[in-house]
Amino acid sequence: MTQTVFEARQVSKFFPGVKALAEVSLDLHTGSIHALLGENGAGKSPLIKIITGVYRPDEGELFLDGNPIALTGPRDAIANRIGVVHQERNLIGRFSVAENIHLERLGAFPLKPIDYAALNRMASQWLDELGLDIDPRTPVSRLSVAKMQMVEIAKALSLRSRVLLLDEPTASLTAHETDILFALLRKLRDTGASLLFVSHKLEEVQEICDRVTVLRDGRNACQSRSMEGLGRQDLVRMMIGRGEDAGRWTARDRTGNPVALQLSEVSTGLGHRNVNLAVHKGEIVGLYGLVGAGRTELAKCIMGKFPITGGQLRVGGTPVVIRSVADAIHRHGIGYLSEDRKQEGLVLMHSVLENAGITVWRQLARWLAALTDGTIRTKVAPFIEKLEVKTPSLDQTVGNLSGGNQQKISVAKWLAAGVDILIVDEPSVGIDIKTKAYLHDLLRQLSDDGTAILLITSDMPEMVALADRIVVLNDYRVEGELINSGQYDTMSHAIMDLIHRVEAA
Amino acid sequence: MALPDSPASPATRQAKRPMARYFLTNEFGLAALIVLFAVLFGVTAQGFLSPFNLFALGRTASINIMIGLAMMVVIVTGGLNLALGAIGVCAAIFCGFLIQDAGLAWPLAIVLALALGAALGSINGWITVRSGLHSFIITLATMSIFFGAMIFLTRAQSYRGLPPELTSFGRIKIVEIVSPLLVVTVVVALLLAYLYRLTALGREMLAAGAKAEAAELSGVRVGRVFIICHMLSGAIAAVAALMLTARNGAAIPSMAGQLGQDWLLPAFLAPVLGGTLLTGGRVSVLGTCLGAFLVTMLTSGLLLMQIGEFWIQSFLGLLLLAAVLIDKSRRMLLDRSKLS
Repeated sequence: MTQTVFEARQVSKFFPGVKALAEVSLDLHTGSIHALLGENGAGKSPLIKIITGVYRPDEGELFLDGNPIALTGPRDAIANRIGVVHQERNLIGRFSVAENIHLERLGAFPLKPIDYAALNRMASQWLDELGLDIDPRTPVSRLSVAKMQMVEIAKALSLRSRVLLLDEPTASLTAHETDILFALLRKLRDTGASLLFVSHKLEEVQEICDRVTVLRDGRNACQSRSMEGLGRQDLVRMMIGRGEDAGRWTARDRTGNPVALQLSEVSTGLGHRNVNLAVHKGEIVGLYGLVGAGRTELAKCIMGKFPITGGQLRVGGTPVVIRSVADAIHRHGIGYLSEDRKQEGLVLMHSVLENAGITVWRQLARWLAALTDGTIRTKVAPFIEKLEVKTPSLDQTVGNLSGGNQQKISVAKWLAAGVDILIVDEPSVGIDIKTKAYLHDLLRQLSDDGTAILLITSDMPEMVALADRIVVLNDYRVEGELINSGQYDTMSHAIMDLIHRVEAA
Repeated sequence: MALPDSPASPATRQAKRPMARYFLTNEFGLAALIVLFAVLFGVTAQGFLSPFNLFALGRTASINIMIGLAMMVVIVTGGLNLALGAIGVCAAIFCGFLIQDAGLAWPLAIVLALALGAALGSINGWITVRSGLHSFIITLATMSIFFGAMIFLTRAQSYRGLPPELTSFGRIKIVEIVSPLLVVTVVVALLLAYLYRLTALGREMLAAGAKAEAAELSGVRVGRVFIICHMLSGAIAAVAALMLTARNGAAIPSMAGQLGQDWLLPAFLAPVLGGTLLTGGRVSVLGTCLGAFLVTMLTSGLLLMQIGEFWIQSFLGLLLLAAVLIDKSRRMLLDRSKLS
């Protein structure tokens, strides 16, 4: 028997000049996984912040077990057993896994010695429950991104949350890890927990959620209804107000074009061995592999950030040695769109103009002549406009924009630089469906215009929707190469076969 | 959360800024404080507004501003340069040696002294970049090394036989109250403002300082840029020391205190008061100038009011602490008025 455990009734939240949430309602049942969907800017984060006590609603009320409550802050929410796993990881790198899991409770008695044995024992329990093989004494900084995510979940669980919010928990997980997570979420659901699942991946939402609330422009597009009878298209229509365009993938064969980027028997200082790879002009080559397969690392070696120790790298047919990233960009016309937008992609504290222009300053600079904002603006503004970046002005601080818009700026930077070869690393992490579809179109169009694109992504549907050929990397070696047929089922099987063939051997 | 605005276009690029935001800028606050204290001292301290005092004030301020700028150009990278006093003194003593013992013409000696400052600065930069350590520890070490080597080589000798062209530079007055040293400072400040606003190199310095990884992957040669920042710091420190030499009429090893440490307080006060972020990536040349000017004026006014020298040191320390705290709350206020 399910009952309503938490309810938000007609809540509104105002910011200066903006109504971020307008009379939004949501109710969570026990023993249920509830999806919260919406485009970036639809109001998901203000709603999450209200539920977790970060914001107070300007209008409307919250109810816990039918009683009105006013959360005074995040700690208050935790005390009421409302837990959250944030999209941004909130772990302290140098602390051990066990310490991080118990972080909220370590400070209770400042002078009492910490019983590490007990701490580790309790942490192991939660880790075991998640099926994680991690020593609780390991410093968090040594874990992979995916493992950190699981530790976050273990932490939220250890707080015995009755209501658990998961904000894009699978964004950095592999398919296998996602399966483990889902099995766990189902188990939690069956024990009566109430989960709120926020994700951009509709496949996952359909797989695991039983109820759904959709937000659009700060309002309910649908309020806490059952998932039954809702198809992907219905969800998309509620989110963006229109249907999703069907995939426009068409078979292309660009292998007749001249080779733009070629790796022959390349070994690197990071451990890649005998990598062979060619990207032709106007072609999108996918580089698929599980987390830790060495894809991003290979990209950084190509960019000259880390050394290539053996074999040969050719750009446009000429053998080259790239000593620095600046060389790769300015001399050889190779760009790299990083997977880690906040650390490696953008300078969040600087303006849109500075970020979009960083790759062209050197081109535009004339000895002793002033490089004015106007000059840079003339160069980058067309790309910002073309990509429909939503920003009040080019002087806006990039950190204040949404993830989708930030990603568009990262792309605009490389369009402005006019690179011939673009390495794109996980382009749609943390961006919404509309922007993702837009980016996909853009990448296809770019390649049609002659740019050679090397695409790194863990998102298999994205890989199949974009790539002409797919190279499978595993453990820093190339396992094989496939021509994309555009058929998701056959391609994903073929790719997984290539990866697991090795693991079985 | 996204902002519900239209796509950017050159037409909408001028964001509407509420007046409140303008009044919350550091530069405005400093200017207001300077006016406030000028009035206060003008009324209470005898002789504060006399032409001689204004001349002396401008002359001291010009040196303090230069010291602040020398620190600022490294703070941009998120680092700092504790050795700037030592570098400055080394350059000034070298200049004295070249003129007095080596018999070089003074303009040539000045150029070589500036080159020495830049060279010592680039040593700081090179070691910092190569080792990957924070410049705090590197410059702490080189401060002692540079100063110690200088004392050893010169046997702590002062150079007092400087040509009158050089020493009169510190004494002549333009229109009663303006020292030529102030002109030098204004020129250097304008050049730095030009560097940060209107050159690719300056923009690269800010980007690399704000987020080195992102800057590198966008094609900025971060290591080289950082070394240039340290080199610039050394050169500006040398300018400051030569200005001090001109004012004193002699190059003295103790002109910036033991190991050049007397310069550290003004060096940090000016950029921090001026709103340069200690973590790097944001800079205000005007703010640094105003900050240094405020500090100089406060010192001068308090001295005229016959408050003991030691109290002034404590007062300046308090000012630094207050500046950091006020800046923090100011930034929180600005953040809260944003939408994110």
